[in-house]
Amino acid sequence: MKLQNLGVIFIIIILPISIVLNVYIGNQAKTLSLQTSYDAKLNNATYDALKAFQLNTINSDTSDLANSKLRDIEASANTFFNSIASNFNMAGYNQDILKEYVPALVYTMYDGYYIYSPYTNTLDDTNLNKVMNQETGMVEEKSDAQILSQDNENATYKEGDKLSGVKPYIYYSCRYIRGADDFVITYSLDNYITIQGVIDNQWRFDYGYLLDDVGTEGTTYRGITIDSGNQTREWVYDAEKGKQEYPYIKLNGVKYYNDGNAWFSFLNGEKYPQDQFEPKTSAAIQYYKEAKEFTDRVRNTYHLTDLTGKNAVDENGVSLEDKLGDYEIFAEDAKINIEDPNSNFNQQRLAVIRYSIEKNLSIAIANYNNGGTYHFQMPVLKEDEWDKIMNNISIISFLQGLNIGGKIYNGHSIITNNKNQEVVNEESIYILTTDGKYHRPNDTQLIGKDSDIVTGILNIDFERKSHIDSNGETQYFFPKYAEGCYTCMINQTTVEATDNFYQYMKDKGGRLAEVYFTALGRERYGMYKTNNNPDTLKEQWYKK
Amino acid sequence: MGDTLITIIVIGLVAVLMFVVPLMTMADRTDDMSQLTVDTETKEVAEDIRTTGKLTMDKYSKYVEAISSTGNAYDVEIEVKVLDENPGKKTTQAESRKIGENVYSVMYTSQVLDYLEKNKVLTLKEGDIIVLRAKNKSTTPSQQIKNFLYSVAGNDTYSIAAEHAAMITANGTGK
Repeated sequence: MKLQNLGVIFIIIILPISIVLNVYIGNQAKTLSLQTSYDAKLNNATYDALKAFQLNTINSDTSDLANSKLRDIEASANTFFNSIASNFNMAGYNQDILKEYVPALVYTMYDGYYIYSPYTNTLDDTNLNKVMNQETGMVEEKSDAQILSQDNENATYKEGDKLSGVKPYIYYSCRYIRGADDFVITYSLDNYITIQGVIDNQWRFDYGYLLDDVGTEGTTYRGITIDSGNQTREWVYDAEKGKQEYPYIKLNGVKYYNDGNAWFSFLNGEKYPQDQFEPKTSAAIQYYKEAKEFTDRVRNTYHLTDLTGKNAVDENGVSLEDKLGDYEIFAEDAKINIEDPNSNFNQQRLAVIRYSIEKNLSIAIANYNNGGTYHFQMPVLKEDEWDKIMNNISIISFLQGLNIGGKIYNGHSIITNNKNQEVVNEESIYILTTDGKYHRPNDTQLIGKDSDIVTGILNIDFERKSHIDSNGETQYFFPKYAEGCYTCMINQTTVEATDNFYQYMKDKGGRLAEVYFTALGRERYGMYKTNNNPDTLKEQWYKK
Repeated sequence: MGDTLITIIVIGLVAVLMFVVPLMTMADRTDDMSQLTVDTETKEVAEDIRTTGKLTMDKYSKYVEAISSTGNAYDVEIEVKVLDENPGKKTTQAESRKIGENVYSVMYTSQVLDYLEKNKVLTLKEGDIIVLRAKNKSTTPSQQIKNFLYSVAGNDTYSIAAEHAAMITANGTGK
C-alpha cells in the first residue's frame, strides 16, 4: 500500500477519535468551569447573607434576644436568596426555582443553631377552636385545618404548601446517663455550659463558665491580677445632644450609660431612664469568681469529674461512645486547664457540636427529598471546615441538584464571622494603646510595652454603627474610635500565631495579660444569656 | 487517476489539519482568554462598587474599555437593586432598616446610564445589590469558524459571558 493511502487511513482513524476526545475534554472542562463558577456564586451569596446578618445585628440593640435574632436570620436568608438569584440570573434560574435547590441554610450561634429549610405546611387538625359561624350565628368547633382550608380558600398558607422557614433552635446539647443520674449538658462556642437534669437524686439546673487556675474571689487568673475597675466609655448617638461619650457598664447584653446624674440606656436610638446602679464588684472579677465557683460545683457538688463520653446517649438512650469518646470530660489536670483548647472538655464540646449539627442537618436535608429525581444528601464536610463551624458564628449553605453538563452540582459554602454580639472569642479582644491604635492581642509589638497599653476592648466596639435622627437622616458613629494597627490588623506581619491565648497571655504576663484577661472577663460577663438571673444581677449591680 | 484522487484527499486533509484545526484551537483559546478577562473585570468592578458604595461614569467607561480590549464588542447590563426602607417604617417593628426584610426597587441599564450621564456618580447604600452582566454581541473568531463549519449559532448565542452580583457593604458618599 502506498504511503498516501496509509496516511489517509491513519487520518480517517485518528481524526474522529481526536474530535470526539476534544469534545469530551471540552465538556469536562466546561463542567469544571461551571462548578467553579457555581461555587463562587454560592460563596458570594453566603457572604452577602452573613454580611447582612452582621450589619443588622451590629445596628440593632436587641439582636441578642431570641425573637429579634429570628428576625435577623429570616432577613439574612432573604438576602441569601436575593443575592443567589442575582448571581444565577444569566444561568436562567430565578429565586423561586433556586429555592428548590437549596435544601438547607444553617446559622450556627453561641449555644445552638438554626436550620432554615423548606418544609411542607401541615395544618393542625386535632386541636379544636371555637369559632362563630357567620351564616347561622352559632358557635362551632373547628380545627385550624378546617378553618383555613375549607372556610377560607384565600388563606395565605394552605395544607400541603411547600414553604421555607427557620426551624426551632437546636442546642449543642448532649444527654448523659450515669447510674441514677440522667441529665443534659448544653455546650457553647466557649467554655460556658448549662446542666439540667437529675444528679444525685436531685433536680439540678446550673450554668456558668468553666475555668481553672482562678485565685480567691476572682482577683487573679493564671497568676495575673484582674483589674477591679469598671471604667469603660464609648460614644453613642444621643437624640438630644448628638454624639456624646459616656461611661457605661454592660449587663446581660445591654449597655447602661451614666451622664453624671442618671443612668439610662438606648433602644434603637431612644433614650430610656434606668434604675440607679451601685456596682459592688467589677464585671471582670465577677466573671472569674462565678466561673471558679461553678467549676467547683461541677467537680465537687455534682461529682462530674468521672463523667465520660461513655455516659453520653442519644434521645433513645443509645450509647454515643463511638462518637464522643471515652475520656473524663471535667477531670482536673495539673498541666492542662479545662478552658484550654486541648483539654478533654474542649474535645467533648467540639464532638458534641459536630455530632449535633451533622445529625440534624442530614435529617433536614434528607427530609427535603420530595420524590424528585435528585436525591438530596448532606455532603461530607472537611476537617478544616468543621474547625471553622465549631469555633465561630457561621452560615453553612447548600446548593444541590443543578445540572452542570457532565454531572449534577452538589456544593456547599461556609462563611464564618467573628465580629458579632453572639460570642466573645479569645481573638475578639483588641488592645488599645496610647497612640490611639488598636492591636490584635498577639501582636508582638505589644510585648514589653506595658506603659503604652491602655485597655482591652471588644472588637465590635470598633465597628461603625448607625442611627436615624429625628430628620430621618442616617448618622454614623464609632462607639470607640481608633485606627487599626497596620502591622497586626492590616498586614498581620507582627502577629505571633497561637492556638491557646490563655497560655500565650500567661507567658507574656505584665500589663498586656492584665488588660486582656480583664477585658475578656468583662465582655463575657456582660453578654446576654437566657440563663441570666435578673435578681442576682440586681443584687450585685443596682442601688437598693 | 486513483493516485490523483488520494493525493487531492491528502492535500485536503493536510490543509484541514495544518490550518483549520490550529485556527480553531487558537480561536477557542482566544475566547478562553477573553472569558477570563471579562470574568475578572466584571468581578473586580462589582466588588469595587460593593466596598465603595458608588458607581461612576468613569468606572463604567473603564470597565467597558477593559473588556473591549479583548477584541470583541459586549452587551453590558447593569442592574441596581435599591433597598426600599419605607415598607419597614410602616410596620410596628422598631427597626426599619433590616437588610433582607424590605423590598427592592430596580434600576436597569438604560436608567443607570441616563443617571450617570447627568450626575456622573450613582451612590448606593448598605444592603443595595449591584449586578453586572457582560456578554459578547459581536461574533468571535471561534464562533465564526464554528458557524461556518457547523452552523449552530443562533441569534441569541454568545460564547463569552460573565455575571457578578454583590451586596453593597458601605454607604457611598458621592465624592
